[in-house]
Amino acid sequence: MMKLHRRSLLLAGWAATLVAVAPGVCADTGAATNRKLVIIILRGAMDGMAALPKTDDPDIHAHRGALVDAKAIALSDGFALHSAMPGLAAMYRANEAAFVPAIAGPYRERSHFAAQDLLECGEISQVSADGWLNRALLKAPAAYSAVSIGPSQPLVLRGAAVNATSWSPAVLPEASDDTLQRLLDLYENDTVLKASLSAALGADRVAGSMQADGMGGRAGPAQYVPQLVAAGKFLAQPGGPQIAVVSLEGWDTHAGQNQALQQRFTALDTGIAALKAQLGDIWKTTAVMAISEFGRTVRINGGGGTDHGTGGLAILAGGAIKGGRMLGDWPGLKSSALFEDRDLRPAVDARSMFKGLLRDQLGWASGDLDSAIFRDSAAAKAMGGLV
Amino acid sequence: MSRLLAAIAATRFGMGARAGEIADATSDPRGWLDRQVRPGATVIPAGGLSSTREVFAARLDYAAMAGGPPGAGGADDEAQRARQQQVQRQAREGLAKEIEARSRHAATTPDSFAERWLRFWSNHFTVAARNAQTIGLAGPYEREAIRPHVFGKFAVLLGHAILHPGMLVYLDAVRSIGPSTQVAQRRDAGLNENLAREILELHTLGVGAGYSQDDIVEFAKALTGWTVSGTQIARLVAAGRGRRGEQGDAIEPGMVIFAEPLHEPGPRTVLGKRYGGEGKQQAAAILDALALHPATARHVAIKLARHFVSDTPPESAIAKLEAAFTKSGGDLATLARAVINLDEAWAPGQSKFKTPEELLVSAARAAGPQAAFGGAQRQVYTSLAQAPFSAPSPAGWPDDTAAWSGADAIKKRLEWANAVSQRMARNHSPLAFVEGALGDLAGEKTRQAVSRAESAEQGFTLALMAPEFQRR
Repeated sequence: MMKLHRRSLLLAGWAATLVAVAPGVCADTGAATNRKLVIIILRGAMDGMAALPKTDDPDIHAHRGALVDAKAIALSDGFALHSAMPGLAAMYRANEAAFVPAIAGPYRERSHFAAQDLLECGEISQVSADGWLNRALLKAPAAYSAVSIGPSQPLVLRGAAVNATSWSPAVLPEASDDTLQRLLDLYENDTVLKASLSAALGADRVAGSMQADGMGGRAGPAQYVPQLVAAGKFLAQPGGPQIAVVSLEGWDTHAGQNQALQQRFTALDTGIAALKAQLGDIWKTTAVMAISEFGRTVRINGGGGTDHGTGGLAILAGGAIKGGRMLGDWPGLKSSALFEDRDLRPAVDARSMFKGLLRDQLGWASGDLDSAIFRDSAAAKAMGGLV
Repeated sequence: MSRLLAAIAATRFGMGARAGEIADATSDPRGWLDRQVRPGATVIPAGGLSSTREVFAARLDYAAMAGGPPGAGGADDEAQRARQQQVQRQAREGLAKEIEARSRHAATTPDSFAERWLRFWSNHFTVAARNAQTIGLAGPYEREAIRPHVFGKFAVLLGHAILHPGMLVYLDAVRSIGPSTQVAQRRDAGLNENLAREILELHTLGVGAGYSQDDIVEFAKALTGWTVSGTQIARLVAAGRGRRGEQGDAIEPGMVIFAEPLHEPGPRTVLGKRYGGEGKQQAAAILDALALHPATARHVAIKLARHFVSDTPPESAIAKLEAAFTKSGGDLATLARAVINLDEAWAPGQSKFKTPEELLVSAARAAGPQAAFGGAQRQVYTSLAQAPFSAPSPAGWPDDTAAWSGADAIKKRLEWANAVSQRMARNHSPLAFVEGALGDLAGEKTRQAVSRAESAEQGFTLALMAPEFQRR
């Protein structure tokens, strides 16, 4: 706690810089809203049909065989949730969770890297250097800010808006305030280093005592819970950011899928429960959205896994979500219904969901969403009634 | 002027200047780099490190020792778990040794341009230690498939990289089976297109180069049969012949083999070209065609220009590298010389932001590995989010400023600099460090800040964090 105090003093001397760099993190924004948005990017392409099998589809067993969880928890509309996610099933029954099967961005190729970039920059084919959430911050209806959890800033938050920061815990002793001051002087003409160091100092002050929580090290399922807990701590701070972005890696299950997913679904389910606990009362006004860059093939491959597909699954949770519902449409698994005779055909444009959440959860204007934030996207109308 | 060029040679082309290196390169900076373009420059001693075959043999020993199937019950089960943990511990220790050897070599080699060149290609053909199957293979893969071939023909490097057990396991090709083979029918198994897709997207043509999903599937079928010897594959092959596998079927484990019974029969068509003939020849013929494809030349040229010029390199630089690749038939020594002779890469402004690994290696070269790492290489790399052999995806580590300069990344760099500055201050002066590591690249502001520091420790923190040392 001493340390935090010292750092706050240093920051006071840099108030002008820091308020410009990270207003939501460093300064109380006044009429704070408790409405929060947590964006979880499931990197590597989660198999949506393994997470939420449509167990009454007549073709599912022929296509997927052992990939269909026999113990899946029946929800509604013929869908069942993988048995490793009982917490989310309970949230669904309490109307705090909803699912969007067969969702995809406008991209129709199958490269992880291109797909993640396009999902995050919000473009149709050409990757831009800035992310849609960063552009959204430039048009925010109030003094919003966002934080990403993890050692590198994801593309969705990169760009011109500076009220975005990233955080992961320290593992080494900290530099003295005098050294920081000198370094900030040295960075006077270096925009990249100055902005990053200033934002880091601001984020550190808020993160407080997270150092002991065991984050750091390799990415993977072991990190899911601590990352979501860290996001919850940031959001729950008085005057904390409105939006948190968490990247959970390791969903590319080309082989041995059942075992890998058992572990990942468990970690995701536990992580969302831990996030809820961390948020306390704020959970009631929070919307959580988890999505991958695309889905996976309908048919099982040679290694007990699945390959890159198209239509995927979005998971929505939180007290703000109008839950207990399956959203969008189910295109069906008949060979003739599949996209390119291999993938689930997309029924919902991911941008529609993003827009619906930004508009109805946090108050963005439709005009900005259709043009400046998701460029040339008027055709992908915001989904109404998510929250 | 040539002092500045020597500093650029050692830091932008090389992996950072060791004490006295800038002075050595001053008389002829381009010649200093050119002399490193020779096959032996990238080979590191394998003493104490395991080969791929040794890694597989150790696993087989374990399998033989473990005896019956897991879950047989009681005390045996526990003993088996203990042995499994032992094998995994060995694999982790093997990886730690690989990291140390690689790190030590980078910190001490006089041929650090060759080492940067090696790392560029190793990243291009990423095999990461991501699970129990790959943890022991990533290190041997780089030493066996990449290091000896980075100054030869691109086609040869491509062949060695793809047809190495490390890559075949990492990208799931080992159990990709031709869908119409007997084995697939009997074992309810089939095609895995991961490797084929990544070769087209990452290793050769590049994304958006005009290949289709059909090309990926056809290429994946051509690649079926290429796998790694071992008991599992022996059983699969035997299943295709309608009988149970026998020990006698297994040749030495850990060898890349072509198992005809797993290969999808018939001719293949990839990028409009028909590949008939012997199944075994199909994949090699397709790889050869991809290696010389104009899109591959372009893809490689763009990546190299990005690595040596800037995140957004000018078309002039790309075009020169593309031409060098095309005219030489993908000769990588010619391409390396084209990089050295690329005027755009010698601009005085430092536009490339160092990755954490580049930062650590350059600090180790300037102040000694012990000072930079304190004997805990792997932990330090991990704390800066770039542990060797653990790239997050087959695309390898990112090579642009935005990926590495976020708020948290800078904080971690500062924490590291602050921690190591105390060790460095014991034996070195921070001003001498700046002079030796940066030479004429160090600006007046940085020299002043370092010389006015309140202690040698603080001087080192500022020197390591200075914009000129964070970039190259």
